[in-house]
Amino acid sequence: MPDSESSSAHPSPTPVSLAEVGQYSCGLTLVFVLASTCWVLLPYTGDLFVALVFLMAIVLAGTWWNRGPVLLMAVVSALVWDYFFIPPQFTLHIDKPQDMVMFSLFFIVALSMGHLITRLRAREATLAQHHQEREHLLELKHRAELLAESERLYRTLLDSVAHELKTPIAIIRTALDGLGQGNPYAREIETANRRLQRIVESFLEMTRVESEALEPQPDWCEIGDVLHTATTPIKHELAAHKLRITGTEEMPLLRLDSRLLAQVLGNVLHNATRYAPAGSEIEIQTSLADGTLELRVRDHGPGLPLGAEDQLFEKFYRAPDSPAGGTGLGLAIARGLMRAMKGDIEAHTHPEGGAEFVLHLPVKTRSAA
Amino acid sequence: MTALIIDDEIQIRRLLRMALESKGYTVRDAENGQVGLQEAVFLKPDVILLDLGLPDMDGVEVLKRLREWSSVPVLILSVRDQEAVKLAAFDAGADDYVSKPFSTAELIARLTAIQRRQGAHDAANLQLGPLVLDPVHHEASLNGQPLKLTPTEYAMLAQLVRHAGKVVTLKQLLRAVWGPQAEEQSHYLRVYANHLRKKLEGSTLEIKNEPGIGYRLEEM
Repeated sequence: MPDSESSSAHPSPTPVSLAEVGQYSCGLTLVFVLASTCWVLLPYTGDLFVALVFLMAIVLAGTWWNRGPVLLMAVVSALVWDYFFIPPQFTLHIDKPQDMVMFSLFFIVALSMGHLITRLRAREATLAQHHQEREHLLELKHRAELLAESERLYRTLLDSVAHELKTPIAIIRTALDGLGQGNPYAREIETANRRLQRIVESFLEMTRVESEALEPQPDWCEIGDVLHTATTPIKHELAAHKLRITGTEEMPLLRLDSRLLAQVLGNVLHNATRYAPAGSEIEIQTSLADGTLELRVRDHGPGLPLGAEDQLFEKFYRAPDSPAGGTGLGLAIARGLMRAMKGDIEAHTHPEGGAEFVLHLPVKTRSAA
Repeated sequence: MTALIIDDEIQIRRLLRMALESKGYTVRDAENGQVGLQEAVFLKPDVILLDLGLPDMDGVEVLKRLREWSSVPVLILSVRDQEAVKLAAFDAGADDYVSKPFSTAELIARLTAIQRRQGAHDAANLQLGPLVLDPVHHEASLNGQPLKLTPTEYAMLAQLVRHAGKVVTLKQLLRAVWGPQAEEQSHYLRVYANHLRKKLEGSTLEIKNEPGIGYRLEEM
């Protein structure tokens, strides 16, 4: 069967298409031509031969055409055969019982032929469609595999870049440890190395956040644990401030990625220690409402630059008069991590002065009892 | 005491060798996993420092093969800070890890902690700095003052003290305190860890949280 057939056999939205009209007229013309030819040959062949010719035409038509034209051909050729060829001719009346049987058989065979062939075609069309769908699925799967592969490559690359950047820092650190604390030059190198380490870690974390290679791993945790993890690495910076934590007593267990949330909180707290004057208080207020954890971090520094409430979460944004040594990435990472966890972070200047950062995070909870 | 360093970075090997030799270790090193495994067989070291990113095979794989025949304490050196990798290392039998860059003091403390054998403690009192646990009566005291603990809190604290300075994974803690069927019930731990942390507040002891891995009891 020609290829073009499978497409023309598709269920078309309009009941009678232009092609079908063509098929109807071709069918009628074919019946007319065959009838004329057979009429000439009738004296030599007899009327049964005519019936076979018509049947063959119907079978052939069925392989190319749609159901409608084939059924029409079957009906018309049956009538033509009856009228012109079965004695008595030029009447639909049939005399002999065997001719009556022949006519009925012809009619039944012609109709079922048309019917069978169109059913076959419909099945072929469905098969072709399935085939196409399968191809489509295969292609989708292929694409997903490619994507996973490129993601894996990306992570490998990120891992190896991390390795290359962190190894020299580690070597310097270990060598300085061996050198001892006595030498003031060594102390300067150590301070610079620590700063370098912070920058490298920020860049790597930012890349991870942006590549979406970051999948939160939620587990049950205690808010105290999260605060503890957040404050431990910045103990030295926090030592100059009074940290006041409220609302943790009543908190149930929360299901969240404690490492990510601790990192966000650490970045926000670190930011606060840089802007708030030494000796001032930094408050962390925790609360839970409607399945959303809210953490408010408020300092008593100068507050936010006017109009920069959203800008300060952009990469490399540095507030005017910022102390040296920041990368402008801490808060961008914080927002990226919060959003990766389906939460968010905002900032504003507190009405009574100082900056306030508000973290929202949807969480599942569980009684701590 | 013999230490085996398996790391592909020559500078790290040299520096670790100097640091460890100054603490009285005899040091051998290997630059890849194959050589490392062979050295481990011939040398029978007292402790192994294993880097996870080796050129010829994954460090976790080295650890798995090592654990087929040896229970030597293994400290993982890693620059990868993803929890999944660390957990895989612990499941393969690592005793503890340090993330590069680490301080030498931290490294030595970890090495000492993982080489301490727990068997020796069992009969006598458990002690860590100002904290004394009496395993017979399940009582505890801090700075000479009795410390009130529930039986669960006691069991958890005892587990941490037995492995003082060393990370105890969530799985290990759950199994030790609540039994093997509780391995997935990490939420229990969170509550008790926090209770314990409050009871130890103000002392020199600190229960450190290693997110996604477990807890570590350290004396400051």
